[in-house]
Amino acid sequence: MMLRAAVLAWALALAVPSFSADTKPAATFEQVSRAAKAARDQNQDAEAIRLFRQGLRLKPDWDEGLWYLGTLLYEKEEFAEARDLLRHFVAQNPKSGPGWAILALSEYHTREYQRSLEHLQRCQTYGVGDRKELADSVFYVVAVLLTRLEQYDDAMTLLFQLRSAGQAEANIIEPLGLAALRMPLLPAEIPQDRRPMIRMAGAGALALEGQHREEAEQKFRDMTAAYPDEPGVHFLLGAFLLDERPENGISEMKRELEISPSHLAARLRLAQEYIRQQNFGAALPLAQQALELDPKDPSAHMVLGETLVGKGGLTAGIHELETARDLAPDLTRIRWDLVRAYTAADRGEDAQREKQEIEKLNQQNAKPE
Amino acid sequence: MVWALTLFLVLPFAEPPQTTGTRPSFSELARQADEARSADKLPDAIRLYREAVRQRPGWSEGWWWLGSIYYEQDRFPEAQESFRHFVATSPDATAAYAFLGLCEYETRHFDAARRYFSQWALKGSPGDDRLIEVAFFHWALLLTQEGRFPQALFLLQKAAEQHGPNPLLIEAMGLAWLQMRHIPEDYPPEQREMVWLAGSAAVFASRSDFARTQEYAARLVAHYGDRSNVHYFRGMMYSFNSQLEEAEAEFRKELDVTPAHASAMIQLALAQYFSSSQLSEARDFAQKATALEPKNPLGHYALGTILLAQGEAQQSAQELELAAKLAPADAKVHLQLGRAYKKLGRTKDFEHEMAVFTAMKDKQNVFATPEEKLQGLPKNMEQVK
Repeated sequence: MMLRAAVLAWALALAVPSFSADTKPAATFEQVSRAAKAARDQNQDAEAIRLFRQGLRLKPDWDEGLWYLGTLLYEKEEFAEARDLLRHFVAQNPKSGPGWAILALSEYHTREYQRSLEHLQRCQTYGVGDRKELADSVFYVVAVLLTRLEQYDDAMTLLFQLRSAGQAEANIIEPLGLAALRMPLLPAEIPQDRRPMIRMAGAGALALEGQHREEAEQKFRDMTAAYPDEPGVHFLLGAFLLDERPENGISEMKRELEISPSHLAARLRLAQEYIRQQNFGAALPLAQQALELDPKDPSAHMVLGETLVGKGGLTAGIHELETARDLAPDLTRIRWDLVRAYTAADRGEDAQREKQEIEKLNQQNAKPE
Repeated sequence: MVWALTLFLVLPFAEPPQTTGTRPSFSELARQADEARSADKLPDAIRLYREAVRQRPGWSEGWWWLGSIYYEQDRFPEAQESFRHFVATSPDATAAYAFLGLCEYETRHFDAARRYFSQWALKGSPGDDRLIEVAFFHWALLLTQEGRFPQALFLLQKAAEQHGPNPLLIEAMGLAWLQMRHIPEDYPPEQREMVWLAGSAAVFASRSDFARTQEYAARLVAHYGDRSNVHYFRGMMYSFNSQLEEAEAEFRKELDVTPAHASAMIQLALAQYFSSSQLSEARDFAQKATALEPKNPLGHYALGTILLAQGEAQQSAQELELAAKLAPADAKVHLQLGRAYKKLGRTKDFEHEMAVFTAMKDKQNVFATPEEKLQGLPKNMEQVK
């Protein structure tokens, strides 16, 4: 509701100069459109809706009519009709960020989640100007939809950005908890019996992001104590502990893999810890199993490559690292791995090429947005 | 996998005939419309095609492009209107029925969508791979909504085998497996996790990844074991992995939760029959199932098969005849019916059923259209229900 109110307030703020109200029967398009806009300016929503509809019957491609009727209907929670009008609107105004935004939000309400996400991302391409409230709404919905569509890491990145931009913690905790626990649900779809668990995961992740490490550990420990058999909880505690007390972190990761053997991130994180400890024998089966779980995951290829190189299998290791690089060309860590591996294999030119690519990536990342 | 279609299918159309006049001629409009479309100036293309088909309503190519552009823009009511004109002006417009089905789905005219998909299937499901994939997916959603779960799963199975886990496919399979008569846009939000867990298990099962199947199925049972269909579902997942004892235990648990679960009874009947242990219990289960769901062909098939094993060929033939009537394209029913006739000494009927079985079996494997396959429970879906 808060979101819809913000949208309407913003749509009304765009109102063109007002015209005198003319609610007499109007025969021409000009008369109808003038009367519709006047009714809208005077907050006579029902009359404005009737007149915009009449105007669109006379001139179906009327941009202002499509836009204002679409936003008015959105406010009235007539999402399906708003959606159809806004689809027409953006077809004629494909670079209208706000158009894509309200369309996508309508689709969110009609539960067409994949389309909604695609259109929100298009909105992000074109922007919504300085309308911060709308931009925040767009970011928030993108984040929850990314989780719903199982793109958890991207969702978490966005949610942390939202928090940094001032979004209230209360709005972030549940979406963050869902993404952290890899549960593809909207906040409204959370099962009641596990809402506290999801909130603990979200609060722990937020505390960690804010460098409140003691608080984060406490949240994660409370969560694992209350829900010891739930997938994802030991992974979160384990990931935290690997940075603090690695042996305890390893135990938690192993517990996670007993509960959810297909937890790709847990398998990879544990393998990386073994690589850090130069224990390549322990890392190898984990990396291989991770790759079996998702043969297209660049991190799985990277970790396997690092393991193989560590064990002295340069050729096979380089092959895996090259696959990882091709899948995720912007990840500099993979390219640094390759520089070291090429150097060890006396492939100086290849190492040099990777260094140049790293330089390019660093320059790109350093550019102001 | 992307379920939304991007389409600009090239169809072999004749050049529009030339006309003359002071206002833009039809051929000039058609040329400009094509140019605008090629240049991705879609609002202009729409305006020009609209004007061209206004001048010449029988110009099917114009309707096709208009429908395609609208569809591309998700403007389904307008696309629907254009494809209807296209179908009316182009008698061989077979692939357009799939688009019409998709437009009707998007505008929530579900009965009309079902009709168009059926028409499309009867014409051999023409179209490119992406259209076929998208159309079958949406048809499967409608079959689930209609309560035709095995048929829905038959269509979803191929996509799952091909593409593996995908959020939309997972949701569709979850709904069908849990026998929830909903489309993804309208089921209760509190059931989302249950649908996701079942769908994930089912997608991994379709790829023979039984370790992950059981991981998700165990989570499903842990949280939703008191809901109808959940133990039945887990039993089916065990069956797929040939864990028959575990499967049987789950079917029995399903009967604790849902005492009138006919599908669980049928599975228990077949399990008892195949293990040759308890034919009388198998018969009880099958009889109860057919009483509960007299139109379920698998129940009659199970009962007929068990009766035959017990030497009651006459009653067996009656049950199998019923099964054959309800699922005429199911090869295994004809095979069993033939065996019953043989026992009864009805040689001609036996030979006829065996011939049907042979033809049907080959046809199911090679020639059957999806519509034909959907008439009954195909052989490779024996365990679905």
